Amino acid sequence: MTDNQVAISIQKVDFYYGAYHALRNINFDINAKKVTAMIGPSGCGKSTLLRMLNRMYDLYPNQYAKGNILFDDVNILDKDIDLNILRSRIGMVFQKPTPFSMSIYENIAFGIKLYERPSSARIQEKIETALRQVALWDEVKDRLHRSALGLSGGQQQRLCIARALAVEPEVLLLDEPTSALDPISTAKIEELLDILKEKYTIVLVTHNLQQAARCADNVAFFYSGGLIEVNDAATLFTKPAQAKTHDYITGRFG
Amino acid sequence: MAQDVKKLQGRTNHLITWRFIKNRLMTVFAFSTILVMLCILISVLITLFINGLSGLSFFTLTHMTAPQGLPGGLLNPILGSMIQVGIAIIIAVPTGILGGIFLAECSNKKLSTIIRFIADIMMSVPSILIGLFVYILLVMTMGYSALAGSVALALLALPVIARTTEEALNMVPSAIHEAGFALGAPKWKVILFICLPAAKGGIITGILLSISRMAGETAPLLFTSLGNSDWSWNILKPMASLPLTIYQYADSADDTWIKLAWTAALLITFFVLCLNLIARIYVDRHRKKD
Repeated sequence: MTDNQVAISIQKVDFYYGAYHALRNINFDINAKKVTAMIGPSGCGKSTLLRMLNRMYDLYPNQYAKGNILFDDVNILDKDIDLNILRSRIGMVFQKPTPFSMSIYENIAFGIKLYERPSSARIQEKIETALRQVALWDEVKDRLHRSALGLSGGQQQRLCIARALAVEPEVLLLDEPTSALDPISTAKIEELLDILKEKYTIVLVTHNLQQAARCADNVAFFYSGGLIEVNDAATLFTKPAQAKTHDYITGRFG
Repeated sequence: MAQDVKKLQGRTNHLITWRFIKNRLMTVFAFSTILVMLCILISVLITLFINGLSGLSFFTLTHMTAPQGLPGGLLNPILGSMIQVGIAIIIAVPTGILGGIFLAECSNKKLSTIIRFIADIMMSVPSILIGLFVYILLVMTMGYSALAGSVALALLALPVIARTTEEALNMVPSAIHEAGFALGAPKWKVILFICLPAAKGGIITGILLSISRMAGETAPLLFTSLGNSDWSWNILKPMASLPLTIYQYADSADDTWIKLAWTAALLITFFVLCLNLIARIYVDRHRKKD
Protein backbone atom coordinates (compact mmCIF):
# COMPACT_ATOMS: atom_id res chain seq x y z
CA MET A 1 0.00 0.00 0.00
CA THR A 2 1.45 3.31 -1.01
CA ASP A 3 1.16 5.96 1.62
CA ASN A 4 -0.90 8.54 -0.16
CA GLN A 5 -3.08 6.76 -2.64
CA VAL A 6 -6.03 8.94 -3.66
CA ALA A 7 -9.45 7.37 -3.16
CA ILE A 8 -11.64 10.30 -4.10
CA SER A 9 -10.60 13.37 -6.00
CA ILE A 10 -12.80 16.44 -5.64
CA GLN A 11 -12.29 18.87 -8.51
CA LYS A 12 -13.82 22.32 -8.93
CA VAL A 13 -16.99 21.41 -7.13
CA ASP A 14 -19.89 23.80 -6.57
CA PHE A 15 -23.16 23.03 -4.84
CA TYR A 16 -26.52 24.79 -4.83
CA TYR A 17 -29.63 24.51 -2.67
CA GLY A 18 -31.94 26.12 -5.19
CA ALA A 19 -30.53 29.61 -5.62
CA TYR A 20 -28.30 29.38 -2.56
CA HIS A 21 -24.69 28.76 -3.47
CA ALA A 22 -23.58 26.48 -0.63
CA LEU A 23 -20.14 25.31 -1.80
CA ARG A 24 -17.71 27.23 -4.00
CA ASN A 25 -14.93 25.77 -6.07
CA ILE A 26 -13.82 22.95 -3.77
CA ASN A 27 -10.65 21.06 -4.74
CA PHE A 28 -8.99 18.37 -2.71
CA ASP A 29 -8.10 14.71 -2.58
CA ILE A 30 -9.26 12.17 -0.04
CA ASN A 31 -6.58 9.59 0.65
CA ALA A 32 -7.35 5.89 0.62
CA LYS A 33 -7.36 4.03 3.94
CA LYS A 34 -6.98 7.19 5.97
CA VAL A 35 -9.37 9.11 8.14
CA THR A 36 -10.13 12.50 6.62
CA ALA A 37 -11.97 14.88 8.92
CA MET A 38 -13.97 17.83 7.67
CA ILE A 39 -14.35 20.59 10.22
CA GLY A 40 -15.78 24.08 10.29
CA PRO A 41 -18.58 26.11 11.86
CA SER A 42 -22.26 25.18 11.33
CA GLY A 43 -23.45 25.94 7.83
CA CYS A 44 -19.96 25.98 6.32
CA GLY A 45 -20.81 23.21 3.84
CA LYS A 46 -18.91 20.26 5.27
CA SER A 47 -22.01 18.04 5.57
CA THR A 48 -23.11 19.19 2.14
CA LEU A 49 -19.84 17.98 0.66
CA LEU A 50 -20.16 14.66 2.51
CA ARG A 51 -23.64 14.18 1.11
CA MET A 52 -22.29 14.82 -2.38
CA LEU A 53 -19.93 11.88 -2.10
CA ASN A 54 -22.80 9.36 -2.14
CA ARG A 55 -25.18 11.63 -4.06
CA MET A 56 -27.61 11.74 -1.11
CA TYR A 57 -28.70 15.17 -2.29
CA ASP A 58 -30.28 13.48 -5.31
CA LEU A 59 -33.28 12.55 -3.13
CA TYR A 60 -34.27 16.18 -3.01
CA PRO A 61 -35.37 18.32 -5.91
CA ASN A 62 -33.75 21.75 -6.33
CA GLN A 63 -30.38 20.59 -5.03
CA TYR A 64 -27.68 20.27 -7.63
CA ALA A 65 -23.94 20.11 -8.04
CA LYS A 66 -21.33 21.19 -10.57
CA GLY A 67 -17.79 19.96 -11.10
CA ASN A 68 -16.17 16.55 -10.90
CA ILE A 69 -15.75 14.07 -8.10
CA LEU A 70 -13.60 11.20 -9.31
CA PHE A 71 -13.96 7.86 -7.58
CA ASP A 72 -12.28 4.92 -9.26
CA ASP A 73 -11.70 7.19 -12.31
CA VAL A 74 -15.43 7.76 -12.72
CA ASN A 75 -17.11 11.11 -12.20
CA ILE A 76 -19.75 10.28 -9.61
CA LEU A 77 -21.58 13.53 -10.27
CA ASP A 78 -22.41 12.23 -13.73
CA LYS A 79 -26.19 11.99 -13.99
CA ASP A 80 -26.08 8.59 -15.69
CA ILE A 81 -24.33 6.87 -12.85
CA ASP A 82 -26.12 4.02 -11.00
CA LEU A 83 -26.74 5.55 -7.60
CA ASN A 84 -27.56 2.27 -5.88
CA ILE A 85 -24.24 0.73 -6.85
CA LEU A 86 -22.40 3.94 -5.94
CA ARG A 87 -24.02 3.94 -2.51
CA SER A 88 -23.19 0.29 -1.97
CA ARG A 89 -19.52 1.19 -2.53
CA ILE A 90 -19.62 4.40 -0.49
CA GLY A 91 -21.49 3.73 2.75
CA MET A 92 -22.83 6.32 5.15
CA VAL A 93 -23.58 6.63 8.86
CA PHE A 94 -25.74 9.47 10.13
CA GLN A 95 -25.71 11.88 13.02
CA LYS A 96 -28.59 10.21 14.81
CA PRO A 97 -28.65 6.40 14.90
CA THR A 98 -30.99 5.13 12.19
CA PRO A 99 -31.90 1.54 13.06
CA PHE A 100 -34.72 0.17 10.88
CA SER A 101 -37.74 -1.09 12.79
CA MET A 102 -36.83 -4.74 12.40
CA SER A 103 -34.61 -7.16 14.31
CA ILE A 104 -30.88 -6.62 14.76
CA TYR A 105 -30.28 -9.59 12.45
CA GLU A 106 -32.56 -8.23 9.71
CA ASN A 107 -31.06 -4.75 9.97
CA ILE A 108 -27.75 -6.13 8.75
CA ALA A 109 -29.15 -8.86 6.50
CA PHE A 110 -31.15 -6.22 4.60
CA GLY A 111 -28.00 -4.61 3.24
CA ILE A 112 -26.25 -7.93 2.55
CA LYS A 113 -29.18 -9.28 0.55
CA LEU A 114 -29.32 -6.24 -1.71
CA TYR A 115 -26.39 -7.30 -3.85
CA GLU A 116 -26.00 -11.01 -3.34
CA ARG A 117 -28.01 -14.08 -2.46
CA PRO A 118 -25.83 -15.92 0.01
CA SER A 119 -26.90 -19.00 1.95
CA SER A 120 -28.37 -18.33 5.36
CA ALA A 121 -25.26 -19.78 6.99
CA ARG A 122 -23.13 -17.33 5.03
CA ILE A 123 -25.41 -14.43 6.01
CA GLN A 124 -25.12 -15.46 9.65
CA GLU A 125 -21.34 -15.48 9.24
CA LYS A 126 -21.29 -12.04 7.63
CA ILE A 127 -23.52 -10.61 10.33
CA GLU A 128 -21.22 -11.96 13.00
CA THR A 129 -18.17 -10.49 11.24
CA ALA A 130 -19.82 -7.10 10.88
CA LEU A 131 -20.94 -7.05 14.52
CA ARG A 132 -17.50 -8.14 15.72
CA GLN A 133 -15.90 -5.36 13.66
CA VAL A 134 -17.84 -2.80 15.66
CA ALA A 135 -17.36 -4.68 18.96
CA LEU A 136 -21.09 -5.23 19.30
CA TRP A 137 -21.23 -9.01 18.89
CA ASP A 138 -20.77 -9.92 22.55
CA GLU A 139 -23.43 -7.44 23.59
CA VAL A 140 -26.13 -8.58 21.17
CA LYS A 141 -25.36 -12.19 20.18
CA ASP A 142 -28.16 -13.51 22.44
CA ARG A 143 -30.80 -11.16 21.09
CA LEU A 144 -30.10 -10.98 17.36
CA HIS A 145 -33.76 -11.55 16.59
CA ARG A 146 -35.08 -8.85 18.87
CA SER A 147 -35.95 -5.37 17.68
CA ALA A 148 -32.99 -3.09 17.02
CA LEU A 149 -34.99 -0.24 18.52
CA GLY A 150 -34.41 -1.75 21.97
CA LEU A 151 -30.65 -1.07 21.85
CA SER A 152 -29.06 1.93 23.54
CA GLY A 153 -28.10 4.94 21.42
CA GLY A 154 -24.42 3.97 21.32
CA GLN A 155 -25.25 0.38 20.42
CA GLN A 156 -27.67 1.55 17.73
CA GLN A 157 -24.95 3.72 16.20
CA ARG A 158 -22.47 0.83 16.17
CA LEU A 159 -25.18 -1.34 14.62
CA CYS A 160 -25.57 1.28 11.89
CA ILE A 161 -21.81 1.19 11.25
CA ALA A 162 -21.94 -2.62 11.16
CA ARG A 163 -24.86 -2.45 8.74
CA ALA A 164 -22.90 -0.12 6.47
CA LEU A 165 -19.80 -2.35 6.67
CA ALA A 166 -21.74 -5.54 5.87
CA VAL A 167 -22.41 -4.20 2.38
CA GLU A 168 -18.59 -4.20 1.96
CA PRO A 169 -18.09 -0.61 0.84
CA GLU A 170 -14.70 0.90 0.09
CA VAL A 171 -15.45 4.27 1.61
CA LEU A 172 -17.33 5.06 4.80
CA LEU A 173 -18.89 8.50 5.24
CA LEU A 174 -19.60 9.50 8.83
CA ASP A 175 -21.79 12.55 9.42
CA GLU A 176 -21.13 13.66 13.01
CA PRO A 177 -21.52 10.05 14.13
CA THR A 178 -20.98 10.71 17.83
CA SER A 179 -22.75 14.02 18.38
CA ALA A 180 -25.85 12.27 19.76
CA LEU A 181 -23.87 9.86 21.96
CA ASP A 182 -22.50 9.80 25.49
CA PRO A 183 -18.70 10.03 26.07
CA ILE A 184 -18.20 6.28 26.56
CA SER A 185 -20.00 5.36 23.35
CA THR A 186 -18.08 8.14 21.61
CA ALA A 187 -14.76 6.69 22.81
CA LYS A 188 -15.79 3.24 21.54
CA ILE A 189 -16.59 4.60 18.10
CA GLU A 190 -13.35 6.58 17.96
CA GLU A 191 -11.35 3.45 18.82
CA LEU A 192 -13.26 1.71 16.08
CA LEU A 193 -12.19 4.28 13.48
CA ASP A 194 -8.55 3.45 14.15
CA ILE A 195 -9.17 -0.20 13.33
CA LEU A 196 -11.50 0.44 10.41
CA LYS A 197 -9.07 2.69 8.54
CA GLU A 198 -6.87 -0.33 7.85
CA LYS A 199 -9.56 -1.54 5.48
CA TYR A 200 -11.69 1.46 4.61
CA THR A 201 -11.30 5.05 3.49
CA ILE A 202 -13.11 7.11 6.11
CA VAL A 203 -14.50 10.61 5.73
CA LEU A 204 -15.64 12.12 9.00
CA VAL A 205 -17.63 15.30 9.51
CA THR A 206 -17.31 16.51 13.08
CA HIS A 207 -17.95 19.54 15.24
CA ASN A 208 -15.60 18.21 17.83
CA LEU A 209 -12.06 19.48 17.16
CA GLN A 210 -10.56 17.11 19.75
CA GLN A 211 -12.20 14.26 17.90
CA ALA A 212 -10.71 15.44 14.62
CA ALA A 213 -7.29 15.75 16.28
CA ARG A 214 -7.58 12.30 17.88
CA CYS A 215 -8.92 10.35 14.94
CA ALA A 216 -8.01 12.03 11.69
CA ASP A 217 -4.93 11.69 9.51
CA ASN A 218 -5.95 14.59 7.33
CA VAL A 219 -8.15 17.54 8.18
CA ALA A 220 -10.02 19.88 5.85
CA PHE A 221 -11.26 23.19 7.26
CA PHE A 222 -14.32 24.76 5.65
CA TYR A 223 -15.63 28.21 6.16
CA SER A 224 -18.71 29.79 4.61
CA GLY A 225 -18.90 27.47 1.61
CA GLY A 226 -15.21 27.46 0.83
CA LEU A 227 -12.34 25.11 1.61
CA ILE A 228 -9.84 27.20 3.57
CA GLU A 229 -7.12 24.69 4.29
CA VAL A 230 -6.42 20.99 4.04
CA ASN A 231 -3.43 19.33 5.58
CA ASP A 232 -2.35 16.45 7.78
CA ALA A 233 -3.91 16.72 11.22
CA ALA A 234 -0.70 17.49 13.13
CA THR A 235 0.26 20.37 10.86
CA LEU A 236 -3.22 21.85 10.61
CA PHE A 237 -3.73 21.88 14.36
CA THR A 238 -0.25 23.06 15.34
CA LYS A 239 0.90 25.22 12.44
CA PRO A 240 -2.15 26.30 10.46
CA ALA A 241 -1.23 28.15 7.28
CA GLN A 242 -4.31 30.36 7.22
CA ALA A 243 -5.29 32.96 9.78
CA LYS A 244 -8.95 31.76 9.63
CA THR A 245 -7.95 28.21 10.50
CA HIS A 246 -5.89 29.51 13.38
CA ASP A 247 -8.82 31.57 14.68
CA TYR A 248 -11.20 28.63 14.42
CA ILE A 249 -9.04 26.03 16.12
CA THR A 250 -8.14 28.43 18.91
CA GLY A 251 -11.84 29.04 19.49
CA ARG A 252 -12.12 32.65 18.39
CA PHE A 253 -15.27 31.91 16.42
CA GLY A 254 -17.51 29.02 15.42
CA MET B 1 -32.42 32.92 50.21
CA ALA B 2 -35.36 32.28 52.55
CA GLN B 3 -36.05 35.97 52.46
CA ASP B 4 -36.35 35.85 48.66
CA VAL B 5 -38.84 33.00 48.71
CA LYS B 6 -40.99 34.83 51.19
CA LYS B 7 -40.89 37.95 49.09
CA LEU B 8 -41.91 35.96 46.01
CA GLN B 9 -44.82 34.33 47.83
CA GLY B 10 -45.85 37.58 49.38
CA ARG B 11 -46.32 39.06 45.96
CA THR B 12 -50.11 38.71 45.64
CA ASN B 13 -51.56 41.73 43.94
CA HIS B 14 -54.92 41.86 42.17
CA LEU B 15 -53.37 40.68 38.88
CA ILE B 16 -52.25 37.42 40.37
CA THR B 17 -55.58 36.90 42.13
CA TRP B 18 -57.43 37.50 38.86
CA ARG B 19 -55.17 35.05 37.07
CA PHE B 20 -55.92 32.48 39.75
CA ILE B 21 -59.67 32.99 39.30
CA LYS B 22 -59.38 32.74 35.49
CA ASN B 23 -57.44 29.54 35.84
CA ARG B 24 -60.15 28.04 38.08
CA LEU B 25 -62.93 29.20 35.75
CA MET B 26 -61.32 27.61 32.70
CA THR B 27 -60.77 24.35 34.56
CA VAL B 28 -64.40 24.22 35.66
CA PHE B 29 -65.57 25.10 32.15
CA ALA B 30 -63.42 22.44 30.46
CA PHE B 31 -64.43 19.86 33.04
CA SER B 32 -68.15 20.54 32.70
CA THR B 33 -68.12 20.34 28.90
CA ILE B 34 -66.37 16.99 29.03
CA LEU B 35 -68.93 15.89 31.64
CA VAL B 36 -71.82 16.82 29.33
CA MET B 37 -70.25 14.85 26.46
CA LEU B 38 -69.64 11.84 28.67
CA CYS B 39 -73.21 11.92 30.00
CA ILE B 40 -74.58 11.84 26.46
CA LEU B 41 -72.30 8.96 25.46
CA ILE B 42 -73.06 6.98 28.59
CA SER B 43 -76.80 7.50 28.29
CA VAL B 44 -76.65 6.26 24.69
CA LEU B 45 -74.73 3.19 25.78
CA ILE B 46 -77.03 2.49 28.74
CA THR B 47 -80.18 2.80 26.62
CA LEU B 48 -78.58 0.52 24.07
CA PHE B 49 -77.73 -2.06 26.72
CA ILE B 50 -81.12 -1.97 28.43
CA ASN B 51 -83.03 -2.36 25.18
CA GLY B 52 -80.61 -4.54 23.28
CA LEU B 53 -79.29 -6.96 25.85
CA SER B 54 -82.61 -8.78 26.35
CA GLY B 55 -82.67 -9.77 22.68
CA LEU B 56 -79.07 -10.95 22.70
CA SER B 57 -79.34 -14.70 22.93
CA PHE B 58 -77.95 -17.80 21.33
CA PHE B 59 -81.19 -18.04 19.37
CA THR B 60 -80.76 -14.54 17.93
CA LEU B 61 -77.22 -15.24 16.84
CA THR B 62 -78.01 -18.55 15.19
CA HIS B 63 -81.31 -17.91 13.42
CA MET B 64 -82.26 -16.08 10.28
CA THR B 65 -84.54 -13.09 10.25
CA ALA B 66 -88.17 -14.20 10.04
CA PRO B 67 -91.40 -12.69 8.76
CA GLN B 68 -93.40 -10.62 11.18
CA GLY B 69 -94.98 -12.69 13.93
CA LEU B 70 -92.55 -15.57 13.70
CA PRO B 71 -89.50 -15.88 15.97
CA GLY B 72 -86.45 -14.67 14.10
CA GLY B 73 -82.79 -13.93 14.72
CA LEU B 74 -80.04 -11.85 13.20
CA LEU B 75 -77.80 -14.48 11.66
CA ASN B 76 -78.09 -13.34 8.06
CA PRO B 77 -77.52 -9.63 8.79
CA ILE B 78 -74.48 -10.52 10.90
CA LEU B 79 -72.99 -12.75 8.21
CA GLY B 80 -73.96 -10.25 5.52
CA SER B 81 -72.23 -7.40 7.32
CA MET B 82 -69.13 -9.51 7.81
CA ILE B 83 -68.98 -10.55 4.16
CA GLN B 84 -69.63 -7.07 2.76
CA VAL B 85 -67.21 -5.37 5.10
CA GLY B 86 -64.71 -8.15 4.40
CA ILE B 87 -64.89 -7.63 0.63
CA ALA B 88 -64.67 -3.88 1.15
CA ILE B 89 -61.48 -4.41 3.19
CA ILE B 90 -60.01 -6.56 0.44
CA ILE B 91 -60.70 -3.80 -2.07
CA ALA B 92 -59.84 -0.75 0.04
CA VAL B 93 -56.79 -1.80 2.06
CA PRO B 94 -54.32 -2.59 -0.77
CA THR B 95 -55.51 0.30 -2.96
CA GLY B 96 -55.55 2.66 0.01
CA ILE B 97 -52.05 1.73 1.13
CA LEU B 98 -50.67 1.98 -2.41
CA GLY B 99 -52.38 5.35 -2.82
CA GLY B 100 -50.90 6.52 0.46
CA ILE B 101 -47.44 5.43 -0.65
CA PHE B 102 -47.92 7.37 -3.86
CA LEU B 103 -49.00 10.48 -1.98
CA ALA B 104 -46.06 10.30 0.41
CA GLU B 105 -43.28 9.22 -1.94
CA CYS B 106 -44.21 10.44 -5.41
CA SER B 107 -41.81 13.08 -6.64
CA ASN B 108 -44.44 14.67 -8.88
CA LYS B 109 -45.68 17.25 -6.38
CA LYS B 110 -48.38 18.67 -8.63
CA LEU B 111 -50.03 15.31 -9.24
CA SER B 112 -49.89 14.29 -5.59
CA THR B 113 -51.39 17.62 -4.51
CA ILE B 114 -54.33 17.09 -6.85
CA ILE B 115 -54.87 13.52 -5.66
CA ARG B 116 -54.60 14.58 -2.00
CA PHE B 117 -57.23 17.24 -2.64
CA ILE B 118 -59.56 14.71 -4.26
CA ALA B 119 -59.06 12.27 -1.39
CA ASP B 120 -59.93 14.99 1.12
CA ILE B 121 -63.10 15.82 -0.79
CA MET B 122 -64.05 12.14 -0.94
CA MET B 123 -63.69 11.93 2.82
CA SER B 124 -66.15 14.75 3.39
CA VAL B 125 -68.71 13.67 0.79
CA PRO B 126 -71.94 12.47 2.51
CA SER B 127 -71.98 8.70 2.44
CA ILE B 128 -75.40 8.64 0.75
CA LEU B 129 -73.80 10.28 -2.30
CA ILE B 130 -71.28 7.45 -2.47
CA GLY B 131 -74.24 5.08 -2.38
CA LEU B 132 -75.90 6.94 -5.26
CA PHE B 133 -72.68 6.94 -7.23
CA VAL B 134 -72.34 3.17 -6.94
CA TYR B 135 -76.05 2.82 -7.71
CA ILE B 136 -75.47 4.53 -11.06
CA LEU B 137 -72.17 2.78 -11.66
CA LEU B 138 -73.06 -0.81 -10.74
CA VAL B 139 -76.67 -1.26 -9.67
CA MET B 140 -78.19 0.22 -12.80
CA THR B 141 -76.26 -2.25 -14.93
CA MET B 142 -75.98 -5.33 -12.69
CA GLY B 143 -78.84 -4.91 -10.23
CA TYR B 144 -78.72 -4.77 -6.45
CA SER B 145 -75.89 -6.85 -5.05
CA ALA B 146 -73.70 -7.34 -2.00
CA LEU B 147 -70.71 -6.59 -4.22
CA ALA B 148 -72.09 -3.15 -5.05
CA GLY B 149 -72.51 -2.56 -1.31
CA SER B 150 -68.91 -3.58 -0.72
CA VAL B 151 -67.71 -1.24 -3.44
CA ALA B 152 -69.62 1.63 -1.83
CA LEU B 153 -68.11 0.83 1.57
CA ALA B 154 -64.65 0.52 0.03
CA LEU B 155 -65.01 3.95 -1.60
CA LEU B 156 -65.72 5.36 1.85
CA ALA B 157 -62.70 3.70 3.42
CA LEU B 158 -60.26 4.25 0.56
CA PRO B 159 -59.45 7.95 1.11
CA VAL B 160 -59.22 7.44 4.87
CA ILE B 161 -56.70 4.61 4.49
CA ALA B 162 -54.75 6.49 1.83
CA ARG B 163 -54.44 9.65 3.93
CA THR B 164 -53.55 7.85 7.18
CA THR B 165 -50.95 5.80 5.31
CA GLU B 166 -49.50 8.98 3.84
CA GLU B 167 -49.37 10.66 7.23
CA ALA B 168 -47.79 7.63 8.87
CA LEU B 169 -45.14 7.48 6.11
CA ASN B 170 -44.41 11.19 6.47
CA MET B 171 -43.82 10.60 10.19
CA VAL B 172 -40.93 8.27 9.38
CA PRO B 173 -37.80 10.37 10.03
CA SER B 174 -36.04 11.40 6.83
CA ALA B 175 -32.80 10.04 8.29
CA ILE B 176 -34.28 6.50 8.29
CA HIS B 177 -35.35 7.04 4.70
CA GLU B 178 -31.87 8.26 3.75
CA ALA B 179 -30.22 5.42 5.67
CA GLY B 180 -32.04 2.96 3.44
CA PHE B 181 -30.83 4.70 0.29
CA ALA B 182 -27.33 5.00 1.77
CA LEU B 183 -27.04 1.20 1.76
CA GLY B 184 -27.66 1.23 -1.97
CA ALA B 185 -31.23 -0.02 -1.77
CA PRO B 186 -33.56 0.82 -4.65
CA LYS B 187 -36.52 3.08 -3.90
CA TRP B 188 -39.18 0.35 -3.83
CA LYS B 189 -37.19 -1.66 -1.30
CA VAL B 190 -36.65 1.37 0.90
CA ILE B 191 -40.38 2.11 0.89
CA LEU B 192 -41.57 -1.48 1.23
CA PHE B 193 -39.09 -2.89 3.73
CA ILE B 194 -37.97 0.16 5.70
CA CYS B 195 -40.58 2.91 5.60
CA LEU B 196 -43.73 0.76 5.70
CA PRO B 197 -42.62 -1.29 8.73
CA ALA B 198 -41.65 1.93 10.49
CA ALA B 199 -45.08 3.37 9.72
CA LYS B 200 -46.96 0.13 10.52
CA GLY B 201 -48.59 1.41 13.71
CA GLY B 202 -50.24 4.40 12.07
CA ILE B 203 -51.35 2.45 9.02
CA ILE B 204 -52.98 -0.35 11.01
CA THR B 205 -54.76 2.16 13.23
CA GLY B 206 -56.12 3.89 10.13
CA ILE B 207 -57.36 0.57 8.72
CA LEU B 208 -59.05 -0.45 11.98
CA LEU B 209 -60.79 2.90 12.31
CA SER B 210 -62.01 2.79 8.72
CA ILE B 211 -63.35 -0.75 9.28
CA SER B 212 -65.32 0.42 12.28
CA ARG B 213 -66.73 3.23 10.19
CA MET B 214 -67.73 0.83 7.40
CA ALA B 215 -69.43 -1.52 9.85
CA GLY B 216 -71.90 1.16 10.91
CA GLU B 217 -72.69 2.75 7.56
CA THR B 218 -76.29 2.47 6.36
CA ALA B 219 -76.72 5.03 3.63
CA PRO B 220 -74.27 3.58 1.08
CA LEU B 221 -75.88 0.14 1.43
CA LEU B 222 -79.41 1.41 0.97
CA PHE B 223 -79.16 1.74 -2.81
CA THR B 224 -76.62 -0.98 -3.38
CA SER B 225 -76.98 -4.21 -1.41
CA LEU B 226 -80.62 -3.42 -0.63
CA GLY B 227 -81.01 -5.90 2.22
CA ASN B 228 -82.37 -9.40 2.15
CA SER B 229 -84.65 -11.15 4.61
CA ASP B 230 -83.28 -14.49 3.44
CA TRP B 231 -79.79 -15.77 3.18
CA SER B 232 -77.72 -16.30 0.07
CA TRP B 233 -74.02 -16.73 -0.40
CA ASN B 234 -74.21 -15.08 -3.79
CA ILE B 235 -72.47 -11.72 -3.61
CA LEU B 236 -74.09 -10.72 -6.89
CA LYS B 237 -77.50 -10.84 -5.20
CA PRO B 238 -78.92 -8.51 -2.52
CA MET B 239 -77.62 -9.28 0.94
CA ALA B 240 -78.73 -8.43 4.47
CA SER B 241 -76.60 -6.35 6.81
CA LEU B 242 -76.90 -5.11 10.37
CA PRO B 243 -77.29 -1.37 9.62
CA LEU B 244 -80.00 -2.04 7.03
CA THR B 245 -81.81 -4.37 9.43
CA ILE B 246 -81.80 -1.66 12.07
CA TYR B 247 -83.12 0.83 9.54
CA GLN B 248 -85.89 -1.52 8.50
CA TYR B 249 -86.84 -2.98 11.91
CA ALA B 250 -86.67 0.17 13.99
CA ASP B 251 -89.36 1.68 11.83
CA SER B 252 -91.80 -1.23 12.11
CA ALA B 253 -94.78 -1.59 14.42
CA ASP B 254 -93.74 -5.06 15.60
CA ASP B 255 -92.30 -5.05 19.12
CA THR B 256 -90.05 -8.08 18.54
CA TRP B 257 -88.61 -6.42 15.43
CA ILE B 258 -87.92 -3.23 17.33
CA LYS B 259 -86.22 -5.29 20.00
CA LEU B 260 -84.09 -7.03 17.36
CA ALA B 261 -83.13 -3.61 15.94
CA TRP B 262 -81.83 -2.65 19.40
CA THR B 263 -79.90 -5.89 19.57
CA ALA B 264 -78.40 -5.29 16.14
CA ALA B 265 -77.41 -1.78 17.20
CA LEU B 266 -75.79 -3.19 20.32
CA LEU B 267 -73.85 -5.71 18.24
CA ILE B 268 -72.48 -3.03 15.91
CA THR B 269 -71.59 -0.74 18.81
CA PHE B 270 -69.85 -3.56 20.61
CA PHE B 271 -67.89 -4.46 17.46
CA VAL B 272 -66.86 -0.87 16.81
CA LEU B 273 -65.89 -0.41 20.45
CA CYS B 274 -63.70 -3.53 20.29
CA LEU B 275 -61.97 -2.35 17.10
CA ASN B 276 -61.29 1.06 18.61
CA LEU B 277 -59.89 -0.55 21.72
CA ILE B 278 -57.64 -2.81 19.66
CA ALA B 279 -56.44 0.20 17.66
CA ARG B 280 -55.74 2.12 20.87
CA ILE B 281 -53.88 -0.77 22.52
CA TYR B 282 -51.90 -1.40 19.35
CA VAL B 283 -50.82 2.24 19.07
CA ASP B 284 -49.80 2.35 22.73
CA ARG B 285 -47.76 -0.80 22.47
CA HIS B 286 -46.11 0.42 19.28
CA ARG B 287 -45.21 3.74 20.88
CA LYS B 288 -43.64 1.98 23.84
CA LYS B 289 -41.46 -0.11 21.56
CA ASP B 290 -40.13 2.99 19.85
